[in-house]
Amino acid sequence: MKSVVTTVIASADAAGRFPSTSDLESVQGSIQRAAARLEAAEKLAGNLDAVAKEAYDACIKKYPYLNNAGEANSTDTFKTKCQRDIKHYLRLIQYCLVVGGTGPLDEWGIAGQREVYRALGLPTAPYVEALSFARNRGCAPRDMSAQALVEYNALLDYAINSLS
Amino acid sequence: MLDAFSKAVVTADASTACVSDINALKKFVSEGNRRLDAVNAIASNASCMVSDAVAGMICENQGLIQAGGNCYPNRRMAACLRDAEIILRYVSYALLAGDASVLDDRCLNGLKETYAALGVPTTSTVRAVQIMKAQAVAHIQDNPSEALAGAKLRKMGTPVVADRCASLVSEASSYFDRVIAALS
Repeated sequence: MKSVVTTVIASADAAGRFPSTSDLESVQGSIQRAAARLEAAEKLAGNLDAVAKEAYDACIKKYPYLNNAGEANSTDTFKTKCQRDIKHYLRLIQYCLVVGGTGPLDEWGIAGQREVYRALGLPTAPYVEALSFARNRGCAPRDMSAQALVEYNALLDYAINSLS
Repeated sequence: MLDAFSKAVVTADASTACVSDINALKKFVSEGNRRLDAVNAIASNASCMVSDAVAGMICENQGLIQAGGNCYPNRRMAACLRDAEIILRYVSYALLAGDASVLDDRCLNGLKETYAALGVPTTSTVRAVQIMKAQAVAHIQDNPSEALAGAKLRKMGTPVVADRCASLVSEASSYFDRVIAALS
């Protein structure tokens, strides 16, 4: 899993040297930013179900045709699966907040995403709408501190961009 | 390769849950500078630690540098010094990452079999690792033994906290113990 620390170690290892002062400096930089990330991760973990539910409701509201017979949100099974997918993205975003990089989203969310959605015949626009809703819903300092919100929104943007 | 953060993520993903134990990671962050000082203490004293550990190992078992011994001639002694440095380097990586996966994957995996095939005596190797473990503990605590170090005594001069980085000391020790367990 790619993160600042593992990248630093991999390059030190490739050169066969002990961690140098500049290596330690890079790790220090990532640790300094970690407090805001972990705050966002903690808050998101505590409210994941509510955030996912709101985002899901928002995207069904914008695309009501999904409720029609034969569409992606037509049966109860489909509905739970749609909600699960939104939760899945938010969970991966929580992982990215913990790791401090986009590794989890890249490896477990985005890789193969296009192929899967095409094979299942799923539209990506509702996902974009759901994540965009979450993107605009967050509010500092009500939900988390400003810096934490910046980190959280940046990852939502990253996921949105991967889908559009 | 994982670090403390990605380890938490991989563990959480196994049960498709969010990372819940954020407090442990917050502790990692708040004690980050101490960790970097500890890594620096090992990296800065690495060559001294390695040569002392190998010399100590040989002092206790002179047969190693006599004809037929595994540290005779210079070529094999050099290989021994190189290996000790490699092991110490991977321990320093593990300490920096806060996770043993880099040590396991890149150093210990197959090491025992390699040494068996090359006829390297593991008891001697283990002894050298034990000496490096004691040295690393002394350097991380910045409390080297004046009696043993003599004129070579070296203090890093980092600000010393009351517990002398007890958690980092035990973490670093656990990585050395991992090496020892993998070899024996």
